[in-house]
Amino acid sequence: MEKQTYTVTFYHPEPVRIEANKGKDLLSAAIEAGVFIHSSCGGDGVCGRCKVIVRSGDIRTEPSGRISLEERQRGVVLACQTTVHSDVEVEVPAGSRLDLDHVSDEQLKLLRLKGMYSQAVDVAKGKSVIEEDLFTHSPLATKLYLELDPPSLTDTVSDLERLYREIRKNRDIPIMQTGLTNIKRLGRLFRESGWKVTVLLGKRNGTVEIVSVDPGDTSDRNYGIALDVGTTTVSGQLVNLNTKEILGTKATHNKQASFGSDVITRIIYASERDGLEKLHHAVIDNINAIIKALIQENKINLNDINGLTCAGNTTMAHLLLRVDPRFIRREPYVSTANFVPVVRAAEAGIKINPRGLLSCVPGVSTYVGGDITAGVLASGLHRSKKLIMLIDVGTNGEIVLGNNEWMVSCAASAGPAFEGSGVTCGMRATAGAIQRVHISGGSVKVETIADEKPIGICGSGYIDCLAEFLKAGIIGRNGKFAEDLDSYRIKETDSGKAFVLVSKEDSDADSDIIITEADIENLKRSKGAIYAASAILLKKMNLDFKDIKQFYVAGGFGTYLDIEKAITIGLLPDLDRKRFTFIGNSSLAGSREILLSYEAKKEAEEIAKKMTYIELSVESAYMDEYVSALFFPHTELQRFPSITEVKK
Amino acid sequence: MSVEQVKEKWSNQISTLTIGATKEEGGTRTSKVVVGGESTLPYLFDEGQIPNKPVIAMEILDSEPVDWPCVLKEPFKGVLNDPVQWAKKCVDEYKAELLCLRLQGIHPDFGDASADKTADTVKSILQAVGVPLIILGCDHAEKDNQVLPKCCEVAKGESCLFGDATEDNYKTLTAACLADGHNIIGESPIDINIAKQVNILITDMGFDIKKIAMNPTIGALGYGMEYAYSIMERARLAALMGDKMLSMPFICFVGQEAWRSKEAKGAQAEHPEWGPEAQRGPVWEASTAISVLLSGADILTMRHPKAVEIVRKTIDSLMKK
Repeated sequence: MEKQTYTVTFYHPEPVRIEANKGKDLLSAAIEAGVFIHSSCGGDGVCGRCKVIVRSGDIRTEPSGRISLEERQRGVVLACQTTVHSDVEVEVPAGSRLDLDHVSDEQLKLLRLKGMYSQAVDVAKGKSVIEEDLFTHSPLATKLYLELDPPSLTDTVSDLERLYREIRKNRDIPIMQTGLTNIKRLGRLFRESGWKVTVLLGKRNGTVEIVSVDPGDTSDRNYGIALDVGTTTVSGQLVNLNTKEILGTKATHNKQASFGSDVITRIIYASERDGLEKLHHAVIDNINAIIKALIQENKINLNDINGLTCAGNTTMAHLLLRVDPRFIRREPYVSTANFVPVVRAAEAGIKINPRGLLSCVPGVSTYVGGDITAGVLASGLHRSKKLIMLIDVGTNGEIVLGNNEWMVSCAASAGPAFEGSGVTCGMRATAGAIQRVHISGGSVKVETIADEKPIGICGSGYIDCLAEFLKAGIIGRNGKFAEDLDSYRIKETDSGKAFVLVSKEDSDADSDIIITEADIENLKRSKGAIYAASAILLKKMNLDFKDIKQFYVAGGFGTYLDIEKAITIGLLPDLDRKRFTFIGNSSLAGSREILLSYEAKKEAEEIAKKMTYIELSVESAYMDEYVSALFFPHTELQRFPSITEVKK
Repeated sequence: MSVEQVKEKWSNQISTLTIGATKEEGGTRTSKVVVGGESTLPYLFDEGQIPNKPVIAMEILDSEPVDWPCVLKEPFKGVLNDPVQWAKKCVDEYKAELLCLRLQGIHPDFGDASADKTADTVKSILQAVGVPLIILGCDHAEKDNQVLPKCCEVAKGESCLFGDATEDNYKTLTAACLADGHNIIGESPIDINIAKQVNILITDMGFDIKKIAMNPTIGALGYGMEYAYSIMERARLAALMGDKMLSMPFICFVGQEAWRSKEAKGAQAEHPEWGPEAQRGPVWEASTAISVLLSGADILTMRHPKAVEIVRKTIDSLMKK
C-alpha cells in the first residue's frame, strides 16, 4: 500500500521536521511544527503572505496571482494552497517568517517604555498625562513579613486565627479567605520557621485571599506583569510590585496572526476543530515567552511573579481564557463575559507563581474591550473636566470621547496597517523599523528605531512617508503615484507601482524596502476609517472637532509620532497642534496601573460601566463619512485649511 | 388671510459651461450651447435664477452600434456606419443642437480603430455640422488615453466637451483638454464624495472649474433611478449651499442607461403583455430623462428621436415660469 504519512522538513532556517498525512497543506503542517508563517487571510489563498520555497518532494499547488513568474520558477508556492504528496523539504524565506523573537531593545526601553507618555515631537512639551501616584499603592498581590507570637496556655488561638490576627494588626482587612492547601501546611510551617513567615495576599473580587505562606522573610521579592494583548501585538511589562518600578518591557507579534489577521477571522477559526485550543495556546505561548525573557533578563525567579493584569479587546480576552468567542460575531453580538473575575493565572496556562493571580481589565462591550478601559484609565480622560478624545490607532481603532461626566466610544475597523501588518514592508515598531522619513529635492532620508540598518517600515514611518509623498507631489490626493514621475525609485511590482524607500543594499531586509500603491490604498482606508469614526462619534453627540480641548493619540507607534504629518494625511483633524498629545501604548499603561492599585481596578470598572458604546455599522452616515475620508487629506478640503493652503 | 410664501435663499450658484466656439471665439461652430448657472433647485423659479435650459445631445457612434435594438436603429437606417452622415441627419432632420460622439469603435473588442483614423472622423464631423460636439471614449482606459488626446488636438479651438475623466484615469485627458482648450466630464460611480474628489483632482491640475461637467452616473427607470436621483439632489443641495467643488452642471447618459434595460429593448414577441417596443422603448428613455431633469440634469445624452422630441417639449413646458 502507498505510504500515507510523509516527513515535511521546514528550513526556518534551521530544520524543523514534522510528520504529515498525505494531502495536508503546508501552512497547517508548519503551524503544527511550531514554524510560524505569515498568513493574513487564514489560509484562503488570498493574501499571498505565506510564500515558501519547495526544495524537493512531490506537492500539489493551486496557482496564485500572488506569485510572480520569476518566483514560480524558483519554486515559490503559497503554503496554504500546497499539499504534501511525498516527503518534502520546504524553505521558509525570511519575508514569510513571523518574527516571534521577543524584542529586547535598549532604545525602546529607554525612550518609550520607561515613560509610557513620551510626547510627540514638535508638539508642545506637556507634563505626563498621569500624575504620579494618582492611585493608592495597593497591588494585586502584596507580601507581608510577619513575626507571630507563639501560642501559649494563655493565648490558645488557632494557627489560622493567629495568622489573621497578625495580618489585621498590619492591615485593615475584615474578610479573608484561605484555601485548604495553605491551611494544611500552617501547623508545621509556623513551628519550623520559628513563627517567622511571609504571607502573600491577593485581591480577589472584593475579598483578600491568603495566596501562600512561606517561611522566613521573602517580602522583598514581589513582582507582577502587566499585559496588553492586542490583535496584532502582545506587550508585557515587568513591575516590582513593592516599589512600582518598571523593570522591563517586551513586545511580540501575536502568534494568532498565523490564523488570520483580524478578530473576525480568528473567531471563525476558533469554531473549527481544535481552533480555540490553537488560538489559546498561541497567545499563551506569547505571554509565557515574554515573561520568561523578562525574568531571565532581570534575574528573577518565576515563583516571585505573583500577579498579572491583562488588557485586551473582548475577543483577545476570550481566547486568552480559552472561552469560546463564537457568540461575539453572531447577532445580537453578545460576549460571554466583559467583567472577568480574578482567577489563578495557571488556570489560563500562564506560567508564573502557580498560585499567582490573573486580573483581566473589564471591557465595555463586545467590540470595546479592556484595552480601551485601560487606555481611558491611563489617560485620565474620565477625570477631566475638559472634553477629551482618545484615539487608539490600532487594528480595531477604538475612539473614546468624553470627560468626567460622560463617555461614549466606538470602534472603527481600521485594519492592522498602522501596526505594520498587511502592508508589503510593514513591521512592528522595533529596532530597525523606519519611523521617520524626509524627502526634499529628490533625496530621501530615513531614520530607524535604535538607529539600526532599516528592515521595514512601522506605523509612524508610513505616516511620514505619505505626508512627504504628498508634499513632494509623488502621490496625488487620491493616493495614486503621479504618472509623470521620472525617478529611479519608482518600479513596477506584481501589485502595481512601488516607491523604493531604501534599496536592498542599504537595508537589512532581503529585498528593497518599498511602498506600493496597494499599501497606500490600505493605509488610506485605515486613516479614513479612524477619521470617519471620530467624526461620526462627534456628530452623534452634536459636537464638532473644535469643541475638543485635548486629543490623546495612542498606539504602538514606537518612540515617535509626528502629529503634523498625521494631520497632513488626514488621520487627525486639523486643529491647533498643541491640543494633541501622543501617549504611546496607553492600554499597557492602564494595565500596569491596575496591577499596582486596587483603586485603579475599581475605577476601571466604573469606566467600563459608565461608557456608552455606539455601533457604527448601524449609522447610515458612516459610509458617507468614510468615503469622504478616502482622500488626502479629505474630500472636504475646507476641513483641513492649514494643509490645503500650504499645498497651494 | 394671506400666507407669506417661504423662500429658500441659496448662497452659491452652479457654474456656467459653454460648449462650442464660434468664429469670433477661435472655433468654427455656427452655434454654441450654454448650460448651468442655476441659483435654485430645478424649476423653482421663485427662489432663484435658471438662466439656461437643459439641453439634449443626440448620440452618434463612430462605428455601427453593437448593442442597439432594432427599434433604436430604425430611425438611423442607412447612416449607422457613417458617423458624418449620421451627424448630419441628427442636425438636419431631428434638429439636434448638440451632438455626442461615442467612440465605440476604438475599443479593442469593437474594431480597435487607431487614433489617427478616429481623429479624422472627428475632423470630418466638425466640418460637416455646425453644432458643438461632445466626445466620449470607450471605457477602456489605455485605449482612451491613446485616442482622446489626438481628438483633442484636431478639435483644438472648438471647445468640445470630452469624457470621461475618472478617479483612476483623469490625468491624460485633463492635460489634453487643458492644452487644447476643451471642457471635460468628471465621472463618479453614483457617489457624491467621489464626484467631489474627481473634481478636486481635475482642478488641482490647473483646470478651470467652469469647464467641468459632472457625470454622476445614473440608472435607468427601474434600475436604481431613485438612488441616482437622491445623489444628484444631494450634490445640488451641497452646491447651492456653497460647495464650489460640486457646483458643476450635470451631464446624464440617459440613452445609454435606458436602452440597456430589457423593458426598453425587449421585443414584444417575448413580452406580449408589455406592448409594442416601438413605443415602449422611446417612452422608457423619455421617462428616464424627465426624472433626471427633475433632479437637476443640465445635459442629457439621448438616442431615440421620438424620446428626444418628448423630452424637448417637456423641457419647454418646465421652463415656462
